[in-house]
Amino acid sequence: MKLVEHFESGLDAPICLTWELTYACNLACVHCLSSSGRRDPRELSTAECKAVIDELERMQVFYVNIGGGEPTVRKDFWELVEYATAHHVGVKFSTNGHRIDAERAAWLRGNDYVDVQISLDGATAAVNDRVRGAGSYNTAVAALQHLAGTGCKLSVVVTRENVGQLDDFKAIADTYGAQLRLTRLRPSGRGADVWDTLHPTQAQQRIVYDWLLRHGESVLTGDSFFHLAAYGSALPGLNLCGAGRVVCLIDPVGDVYACPFAIHETFLAGNIRTAGFAPVWRESDLFRELREPQTGGACASCGMYDACRGGCMAAKFFTGLPLDGPDPECVMGHGEPALATAIPRKSSVDHSIRRRAMVPVTIVQRPCNESPV
Amino acid sequence: MAFDLERGWALSPQVALRPEPFGALAYHFGTRRLSFLKSRTLLAVVESLAEQPSARAACEAAGVTSDQLPQYEKALSTLADTGMIE
Amino acid sequence: MLDPEVVEEDAPVEEPEEELVEEDLLVEDVSIDGMCGVY
Repeated sequence: MKLVEHFESGLDAPICLTWELTYACNLACVHCLSSSGRRDPRELSTAECKAVIDELERMQVFYVNIGGGEPTVRKDFWELVEYATAHHVGVKFSTNGHRIDAERAAWLRGNDYVDVQISLDGATAAVNDRVRGAGSYNTAVAALQHLAGTGCKLSVVVTRENVGQLDDFKAIADTYGAQLRLTRLRPSGRGADVWDTLHPTQAQQRIVYDWLLRHGESVLTGDSFFHLAAYGSALPGLNLCGAGRVVCLIDPVGDVYACPFAIHETFLAGNIRTAGFAPVWRESDLFRELREPQTGGACASCGMYDACRGGCMAAKFFTGLPLDGPDPECVMGHGEPALATAIPRKSSVDHSIRRRAMVPVTIVQRPCNESPV
Repeated sequence: MAFDLERGWALSPQVALRPEPFGALAYHFGTRRLSFLKSRTLLAVVESLAEQPSARAACEAAGVTSDQLPQYEKALSTLADTGMIE
Repeated sequence: MLDPEVVEEDAPVEEPEEELVEEDLLVEDVSIDGMCGVY
């Protein structure tokens, strides 16, 4: 078996996973993949969180991405981060910069096993704040300043509006001694509401791919652009969908999903409150299904399938495309015909503070004569 | 970079080794690098390094033949380069 | 209905039980960031 096949058939424990600690958030980003905003009253307690960490330690999960919502709003956040690193679980936490003051930055600077990832979606306040809200650019930059020289990550979701700023993002990262990370916009959570107008065009995707190739391993991607491998050389990373196989999501109320971009009952494997995390990972019906050999479906006859693996399950699901067909952003354009008539799906898991209809970005009806280029 | 098979080696203290059906995963908590060891024999070699007087002895004890030794030397060299073993 | 491919075109006929012979390198290295599904 090739190594990639071993991973696609799943491991006894994740290699790393995302753990959303809270649905509460001080921001209301238009594309939030977890539709965060309001705290869920059923959130895991501090004791329950520590029990999860104990289990991750036993299972030898190496690295956890702690996110949310905004994880720093939890009063026990710093205690949990310390508990995790003291129990052999490496931590990266994803933050908008909230509560990253000089004192916290000093603590982080001294902790070798915690990575900080600051979210920013525009190299200027004008571009960023349209998506993340007024003042969010300043909050992120203030955090970067406090964390200067620590090698923290600066993570950007690539959109139609910021593709022209890739060099500027690199410059910001370099200014603060941070590592730049570019990631893919998915039509997940509130992302479903704005995907039509915010996702990069085919031409822009090509620009992103070429830019990433030029920058090699100096720019991270979280393997989120593996569907672009169909253009030619694969980008660094495993180049496969890890959902339910090597990664998954634990959400604030203990629900386990295949991945953070798939918060929908279709991809709900179970809940840790039943019997812990391990039984869900190892025995859930959903994860067993995901670990069966994938035949490629409609993509199997395409010469690119070995490279692109049929793209992102979540991107297909939320744009209403069949899971055994092309990715909506398939670089060969094979996703376009189905997209014209597909009906997008939404998740009922929604902790948005405002009703979903009220978003600052204008939603344009999907035109049926949209050119794929 | 030439790898010294004749000296003693050990897994770096910051590395976690996780056996897998295909071999093992090794994660370095300091560098955030993840290595896939693609054989159970290589896992056995790495696990026994600290107890063996040399990397060569560890390979022999794990059943590595002289034909296979260059491949294992290369693997150990990679692990040394990335700080997984020291 | 076609059976899924279970044998790689160029897979060796006999394979030592736990060795992957189609790859020369016994160690592959990737960043912990190289896994899709972790934002």
